[in-house]
Amino acid sequence: MTRKKVKVAFIENESVRKSTFKKRKRGIFKKAHELATLCDVPICVLIKSEYDSIPEVWPSREEANKVLSQWEMMPEMSKTKKMVNQETFLLQRISKATESLKKLWRENRELEMKELMFSCFSGKTLLSDINKNDLPDLGCFIDQYLKDLNRRIEILRTNDVSGAGAATTSNAMPMLMVDLHSSSAEFYNKIRIQIENNLNKIHEEMG
Amino acid sequence: MVKKSKGRQKVEMVKMKNESNLQVTFSKRRSGLFKKASELCTLCGAQIAIIVFSPGRKVFSFGHPNVESIIDRFLNNNPPPPPHHQNNMQLSEARRNSTVRDLNIHLTQVLDELESEKKKHEDLRKIRENTKALGHWWEDPIEGLGLPKLEGFKGKLENFKQTVSLQASKLLEETVPNFYVGGSSNAAAFGNDEASQRRMVDLNAFNYNQNPIFPNHALPFGNNGHGNIPQGFAPGYNMNYRPEYNPNQNQNQHQVFKREDISEYEHHHGHPPHSRSGYY
Repeated sequence: MTRKKVKVAFIENESVRKSTFKKRKRGIFKKAHELATLCDVPICVLIKSEYDSIPEVWPSREEANKVLSQWEMMPEMSKTKKMVNQETFLLQRISKATESLKKLWRENRELEMKELMFSCFSGKTLLSDINKNDLPDLGCFIDQYLKDLNRRIEILRTNDVSGAGAATTSNAMPMLMVDLHSSSAEFYNKIRIQIENNLNKIHEEMG
Repeated sequence: MVKKSKGRQKVEMVKMKNESNLQVTFSKRRSGLFKKASELCTLCGAQIAIIVFSPGRKVFSFGHPNVESIIDRFLNNNPPPPPHHQNNMQLSEARRNSTVRDLNIHLTQVLDELESEKKKHEDLRKIRENTKALGHWWEDPIEGLGLPKLEGFKGKLENFKQTVSLQASKLLEETVPNFYVGGSSNAAAFGNDEASQRRMVDLNAFNYNQNPIFPNHALPFGNNGHGNIPQGFAPGYNMNYRPEYNPNQNQNQHQVFKREDISEYEHHHGHPPHSRSGYY
């Protein structure tokens, strides 16, 4: 079966509509079953169509009645909190998608400015050819980068000063701010002495 | 090509073991189920209600036209409303349907935009991978650079920032000619006088997009932001200013790295090869 994109509009053709209804109804019951099984949750589905005088129930009348009585017991606010219809459901989806889009757009913009910055550095792009609308964002990105650079420089300088050894690349210690004062050398010394003393005691006791 | 995830995998039809996976699955599948239900209603004119309890015992429900009426009719075996009520219902139903149609259009637009941004993300990622091969050490992550390199880079970046700032000021003057008052000397025109220097300092002073916001063309139902979308791409040139613009400036000031850093191609032909990508 080929996957054709179906336009989400009322199907005028009666026979197509009827067969679509049957197929999709089956699909919905299947998906409901999967959801119930995988997540071990109570669920019921009620479908009323032009093809049936009484609504169809899934999984069964008994099961549905159980779910519905649980439903009836819920306080009104809990019921309505997560209640949606087509309109509100679409609004939710739109808002979620818009959030993702904003986030991704921001990320892409940063990546773009990064490329632009590096491109200027390597001489690939002439400053005067940069679109003037991009300059502010480029400036913003440069500032951010400088902030990160300075932070990293601070970390390495602090490590250096405390005599922890030559500042190394972060393969060994990524972004770890190691605060080793000279007093810590004393501290380790004390421990070493304590251990030695303990060992000596043990040796004595053992004769 | 490195695959990011394992792709579609067959799932066993038993309760999921991992607690957080179960939560995520519930969330996604519930949403998918509601979506299918919504489609069925629009496509076939059906009425539907779904009630599902979450693992956390919250209750989610979807209903078309609305949950309560369908459940009520089902539980109380009520017949559908008599014909003389139909007209009012049909009117409000028609209005609802047209709203839903519009919302669907809006949603489709946003989803399409999301798709193209995802593709753009992929393209940018590939560009980064390709340029890695050029071996520009300053492009490597900051964490991997040693102190001397970092400090050198910092200095050059600060210079670059000044250059960008100058350029931005220059362009601002061009678009808003009344901006600088007085100073008819050549020095003022090229930003070498004191007044210009004072103006040119900080990009924060104008139109500074601290939080580059959502582009307005992507919101069909209203503009609530302004953003910057790159228009086309810049051809490849080197970064030197033309001499007449800044007669007093040292050439090297506008080159972030020395001539030796420029590629062989540029060195021999005087300009870098044209950029093939759609971005800078």
